This record gives sequence, structure tokens and C-alpha cells, in this order.
Amino acid sequence: MLAEYATTLTFIALGAIFAYSFYAVLIAGQLSLGQAGFAAMAAFSAATLAPSGDDVGDVPALLTAVVIGMAVGALGAVVLGLPTMHLRGVFLAIATLGFAEAVRVVLLNLEWTGGAQGLAVPRILTVGMAWTALAVVAYWFWRMGRSRYGRALEAIREDELAARSMGIDVGRHRLAAFVTSGAVAGLYGVLFAYYVRLIAPNDFDFTAAVDGLVTAVVGGSTMFLGPVLGSGFQTMVPEIQRAVGVEAGWIRPFLAGLLLLVVILFLPGGLTSLVPRRTRVPSSGDGDGGGDGATATRLAARRHPAAGETVVSLTGLAKEYGGVHAVRGVDLEVRGGEVVGLIGPNGAGKTTLVNMISGLVPPSSGSATVLGTTIGRTPVHQVAAAGVSRTFQHSKLFNRLSALENVLVGAHLVSRPTFLRRLLWLPSARRDEQAALEHAARCLRRVGLGDLAGNRASSLSYGDQRRLEIARALAAEPSLLILDEPAAGMNHVEAGRLSELIRSLARDGLTILFIEHNVGMVLETCTRVVVLDFGEVIASGTPAEIAANPVVIEAYLGTADDEPSGRSVADGTLADPTGGSGAVAAPGAVTNVDPSAAGTLDLPDTTPRNAP
Amino acid sequence: MQQLLNGIFIGSIYALFAIGFTLVFGILDRLNLAHPAVFAASAFVGIELVERGGLSLWAALPVVFVFGAVLGLVIERLAFRPLKGRADAHFAGLISSIALAGMLIALLQWRYGPDTRRFPAGSFPETRFEVAGAQVTLAQVVILAVSLALMVGLTYMVTRTRLGRGMRAVAENPTAARVLGVDVDRITAVTFAISSALGAVAGVLFAINVNTAQLGMGSAIELKGLAVIIVGGMGSLPGALIGGLVLGLAEVFAVQYIGSSWRDVIAFGLLFLILLVRPQGLLGARKVREV
Repeated sequence: MLAEYATTLTFIALGAIFAYSFYAVLIAGQLSLGQAGFAAMAAFSAATLAPSGDDVGDVPALLTAVVIGMAVGALGAVVLGLPTMHLRGVFLAIATLGFAEAVRVVLLNLEWTGGAQGLAVPRILTVGMAWTALAVVAYWFWRMGRSRYGRALEAIREDELAARSMGIDVGRHRLAAFVTSGAVAGLYGVLFAYYVRLIAPNDFDFTAAVDGLVTAVVGGSTMFLGPVLGSGFQTMVPEIQRAVGVEAGWIRPFLAGLLLLVVILFLPGGLTSLVPRRTRVPSSGDGDGGGDGATATRLAARRHPAAGETVVSLTGLAKEYGGVHAVRGVDLEVRGGEVVGLIGPNGAGKTTLVNMISGLVPPSSGSATVLGTTIGRTPVHQVAAAGVSRTFQHSKLFNRLSALENVLVGAHLVSRPTFLRRLLWLPSARRDEQAALEHAARCLRRVGLGDLAGNRASSLSYGDQRRLEIARALAAEPSLLILDEPAAGMNHVEAGRLSELIRSLARDGLTILFIEHNVGMVLETCTRVVVLDFGEVIASGTPAEIAANPVVIEAYLGTADDEPSGRSVADGTLADPTGGSGAVAAPGAVTNVDPSAAGTLDLPDTTPRNAP
Repeated sequence: MQQLLNGIFIGSIYALFAIGFTLVFGILDRLNLAHPAVFAASAFVGIELVERGGLSLWAALPVVFVFGAVLGLVIERLAFRPLKGRADAHFAGLISSIALAGMLIALLQWRYGPDTRRFPAGSFPETRFEVAGAQVTLAQVVILAVSLALMVGLTYMVTRTRLGRGMRAVAENPTAARVLGVDVDRITAVTFAISSALGAVAGVLFAINVNTAQLGMGSAIELKGLAVIIVGGMGSLPGALIGGLVLGLAEVFAVQYIGSSWRDVIAFGLLFLILLVRPQGLLGARKVREV
């Protein structure tokens, strides 16, 4: 019975292993087609270098070959990966494809590979061995799924920039995924060689690579079972057609194509979308208060700078985009425990300024030190590691991950790597994961999203997405928290709660810098307000000083004489141009965000509540 | 000299094929992997038109152009439109177009069998020219003329006409284009139609050049097409033209001086180098990432 299907079963296992080599990079959002090249290199070098089965026994011979093959595949991936990892999307696909084709042509032209005739290899692989190998590979990716490493890869796939800001070293992670892919492809090459008896370079051509990719995508590239299902599907379709007597020739490929089309069109996420996915819910959260205190100490705690210590120090910072001075000559000092509000009309350079502070954008001139790191040449993830965490003006969430998983990625810097320990089922890995989960759930509850932990980030309402970003930023236990328009889209009740949250964070010792158009909220929340206009700081001081500062009022509301040409509704700095002239106390002079969230400028009574 | 001309002829076919490829990628940001199947299908259809329909070689070209356009509409409708708005549209579009290409090739096999097909004897004019000591057939001249005419026409259309303006608007920002009243769905469909029509003509010209059509001819040129659009710069039409010519010449001279078996290493080595040094291609613009 089994013997009858042995060939089919072996090919399912082989196809699945090859598909895993694509899955390994797809999960990190990389499209590579070089795996056929790695497999070919591995197959030929292993078949040539490994001892013969007659000398050392079949299984040791195969194992040696596997080791050689995986090493060659991984090495090939390092060599190819180092120069190509900066490429994205289709560019990476085509570069790796070019590599694979070059490998194939070189192998065809070498003496020792037998050229187009190919190389004879003894058949050692059995069905059992193939499935054992598959099980090992699948196990690897299964355990990777919910480790810190696996989450980081998914985060890179969803939004690379946000992943960087969460302290993930994207380059290293992408290279690691690529090398894994190379090793798995090498494994496939060797197993394939020791099964089919005769290997030729053309077994590893473009078509083979496309088959592997199709298998991985059809199965589903976001869940570890995908490649197995995909390979089962791809291998079984022709077999079933043969069994039910569909005539060979054109009908079989036609039906196979049709089925593939149907699967891809009607099953977004591939065949794994048929498998119910367990949604992870925070471990009963508030229920078990007992473990809470104990586990809370397990995450690396950060020592925040003491009140008054310098956190951000900018001198003459400037950014120029092709002649446009977005920010010029900004000197700014932010001290520990301060809540600094950054306001200014649209286009004043606020976002550019915080982008520079968080390391995303290098300054054109001037110098900046943030938490002891010099900004400019320091990669974003290292700035994040120094204790800077931020949200973005336009939400940059990991859309296909759940709210909780988003926050778990945020905790990347303060949690410990768990993947290798998860492979060995070490209890400490479980404890660490549990601690991270509880930490994340706490962050979610803090912003009021405790009930939505299991929801996909993309399914949340706009306001909830803003809050989720804050929770994610908080999870990194930052010393400096940067919020870019956190209250956008919130009504005044929500904005009030956000203001309360920000002040409570400051009491915990965080330093907070935030951009906001809701002036009322800024004046109410901050200990200090900095006003930016045309890239320059035009005022800085306590909320009371700012609210009474005539320069600020002019920047925001315009004066009578520049009214017709000045900034008004057109650039969105002012909602009510008609009532603009010198209207310090104009009741209801609304800001441009949301009428319902309107703050008025006549709010100087809200004195700072928590001075440093 | 002979080699130079041969390189230009084959290169112009590569360019025509690649322009269809890059048009869809540049405007819609999708890689249509059914394009090579259109290339193959139209070669077979072209041969049949000449063989059974009794059309002359040149009368068959416009018919094939229309055939390709229709195929393009079908591809857009079946493989790409249903994916609109999906998060994984990029990968899914690759796979759905691969699936459709498989079906198309299967249909070709049904209609024409697995064997190589040729134009009936006597369909080529015998006229030959002598250009600077090299032999050139009339067919080759026509290949070059048709390729260039189509590319010039396309460039005119994209840069000067209302339709072309719509295409560029969609390429820049589909949402904004829609808001401004551009019918994005129609532009998308038309782009696919034009792209496939060019691919179809390239297929017939290729078949004329080597006087054969095979089921696998699409996958053979697919890689080269990808190489060309990378070398020239993704989405750049003049880049695809230059890339096609460069590849054609590189191949011909590689065969001449290094040996035919190493030909493809040259092509892909070149491709690889360009990707490393100038990932945006020779004439492509680097997209600025938004923060």
C-alpha cells in the first residue's frame, strides 16, 4: 500500500522542503528566486565530496552529504546575501534569479559535473528519510513562529521602517532568513540528488524555482504548515488526475493551472487559510495578579535618565531637501522628565525634526545627541536601543499581526531571544515568552485596548490604531517617547484621556516629546512648548508663556495685513480665516485637526501640572 | 559588422518584448508572468494565419496585434482584477499570472501539439541587402522597422495623449488619479492590452527571425525580458529599448568571442553587476521612501 505511493509521497516531502526554502524568506517579506542555485551547488558538491555509501554505510553517507549540502547552501546564501540584502521586492527576486541562472550555466560548462549529461548519484533516500527531514524542517519553522526572532521577521515583512524603529536590526534579520533559506535549499538539493539517481544542472532551472515559489505561496506564506499543504496540492493534482483517468497531454496542465488560479484567487493567504488559526489571547491578563509582580521583573528594565539630566541635545540642527530648508538651525535641549510639546503650522518641519531625533533621517548639518547616541551615522535600531521609541504621523502598524503581536514586537528590545531555547522546549523560553506576553498585555491595557488584543491591527478603528501605536512604543520601555500627532482623529474625551496617559508616563520617569495640532491639549499636557515655523524655533516656554506670545499667535493665526496671501485655510493651519486678525481671545478659534477636538488658544489657566 | 547587425535585430525583439513587460510594471507595479505565454501563443497564431488563412507575413502582424490585445484584457480580467485591494496582491499576482500562463500553454498544446512549428516555405521574401559588407534580409529590416515604429508610437502615446497622461497619473498615484476622475480600471485594462499586444508582435517577429515556434519559447525569453527591464530600469520605456539592444549585442558577441555555452553567463553576470551597482537600472529613477 505504502510502497505503491512511495514515489508520490517522497516527492511531496521533497517539494515541501524546497518550498520551505522560499517560505524562510517570504516570511520576512523577501522574494528570492535563487534557491534553485543553492540547491544545485549543494547537490553537485555533496554528490562529489561525500563518501560513497559502500564505504561508510548508506545513512552516514547521506548524512555527510546533507551536512556538506546545507553548509554549501548557507555559504552561497551568505556570499549572495551580503551584496544583495539592500535590494527589495522584485529587484531581489531578479538579482537572485540571475545568480541561479549563472550557477546553472557554470555547472553546465564544468567538467566534474558531467555537463548536460549530469552526474549519477546512488539512490539512498527512502520515503521515511524524506519525511523525517521534512519533519525536522517543519519543526524548525513551527518553533520559530512564536519566538522573538520569528515575530521580528514578520514585523519586517509588514513594515520595515516601523520594525527598525522598534530596535530590530533589519539587515541582520534579513540576512539570517536568507541564510536559513540557503541551507534548506541545500538540504533539498542533496535529498533530491540521492533520490532521482541522476542530476543535471537543468533540474535546477528557472522553472524549478518558480515551482518552489508557487508551492510556497499556494500553501500560504504566513504559517509554517503552508509549504507542506502546498506541496501536497501541487504533487497530488496531477496524480489524482491520472488516477481518475484524465488523459495526458494538454488537459492535465490546463486543469492544474486552473486549480492554481482558483486557489490563489479565492483563498487569500493560501491553503493554510483553511486551517483555523489559534488566536493568541493574553494569558488571562488581569486575572492572575499573583504572577504579575514576579514576571514583571523578568523583562530587562531600563534606567531612565534622572529628572533634569540631558536627554536630547540639538545644536544648529538643519535639514535641507534639494534647496528647501525643512529645518534650520534648531537648538534644543530636552531634559529628563520633561513633557515637550512641539507645535507649529503644517510644513513647519516638526516631523522632519523628530525624524532626525529618532535617527530615521540624517541631518544636513548641525549635531544632535540623544540619550548619549550621536545622531547621524547611528542606525535607527541602535537609536531605538538607546531608549528612543516613537509613533508615526501616519500609523505604521504591522497590519496582518494582531494587536497583541504588534505590542510584542515593540517589546523586542526588552525581551530575550527565545527561538533556540524554544527549539529545545526549555522551560525558561516559555517563561520568557509568558513574561513578554504579560508585559504586552499590560501596555495594551494602559492605552485602553485590553479587550482588542486578539484583533488584527488593520481591523481596528483609526483612533484605536493610534492608541495601539502608542502601546507598541511603550512596550520598548523607552526613556524618550516621541509621539507624532497622537491625538489626530480623537474626539476631545479621548484626547483628554490621552493627555492623562502622557502625564502619568511622565510621572513614571519617561521623557516625552510630542507633536500635536490640538493646541488646547498641548497646553494642558506639556511642561514646555516649542513652536516651530518655517523650520525655525520661534518660541519656547511654559504653556502660559506660549499662549500669550504674540509671535506664536501671529504664526498660527496670521495678522491682518498678510491675511490674503498668508497661510490660511489653504495650508490647513487655520480653520477660520475670517476671524483671524489678532484674535488672541477669539472664542472657538479652532485648530485644524478636528472640530470636535478643538482646543482654543485662550487656555492659559492650565498651568503645568508636573514640572520636572 | 554582421554580428553587430544580428545583435541589433535580436535586441530589438527583446526590447519590444521587454517594453510590454515594463509597461505593466511601471504603471501598475505588477509583474505579469503571463506575458511570455502571450509571446509564445502569438507566434503559433501568426504561423497559422499565414499557413491556413493565407495571409501574407505582414498582413498577419496587425491581426496578431489585436489578438494580443484581447489576450491582455483576458489576463487582466482573470488574473489581476480579482486581486485588487488584497494585502498580498504582489505575490498573488505573480502566481495567478503563472497559473494563467500554464493554462494558455496547455491550450496551445491542445491546438498545435507539442512539436516545433515553422512558417510554410516561401512565405519569406528573398530580397537581401548588403549593408557595409554584411548580409541583411528584408525580413530582418522589417523586424527592426516594426519594433522601432511600435516603440516610437508607444512613447508618443504615453507622453502626448490623454490616455498616456491617464496612465502616468495612475503610475504616480492610483488613488489620486481616481479622485481626479481618471477611470483607473479602464486605464489598467488598456495598459494590459497594449502590453500584451506588443508582446504578441514580438512573438511573431521572433518566430520570423528564427523561423520556428515552440511551446517553450516564452520561458526562454522570459528571463531575458526580466534582465532587460532591470538593466534598463524598472518601468522605463527607453531603458527597456537600450537594455534590449545591449543584451542582444552582448549575446551575439559573447557567442562570437567566448563560445555559445557561456552566453548566458555574460547576460546574467551583467544583470547581477548592474543590480549591485545601480539597483534602479540604467535609466530608472530611484523611488524615495516615505517616512
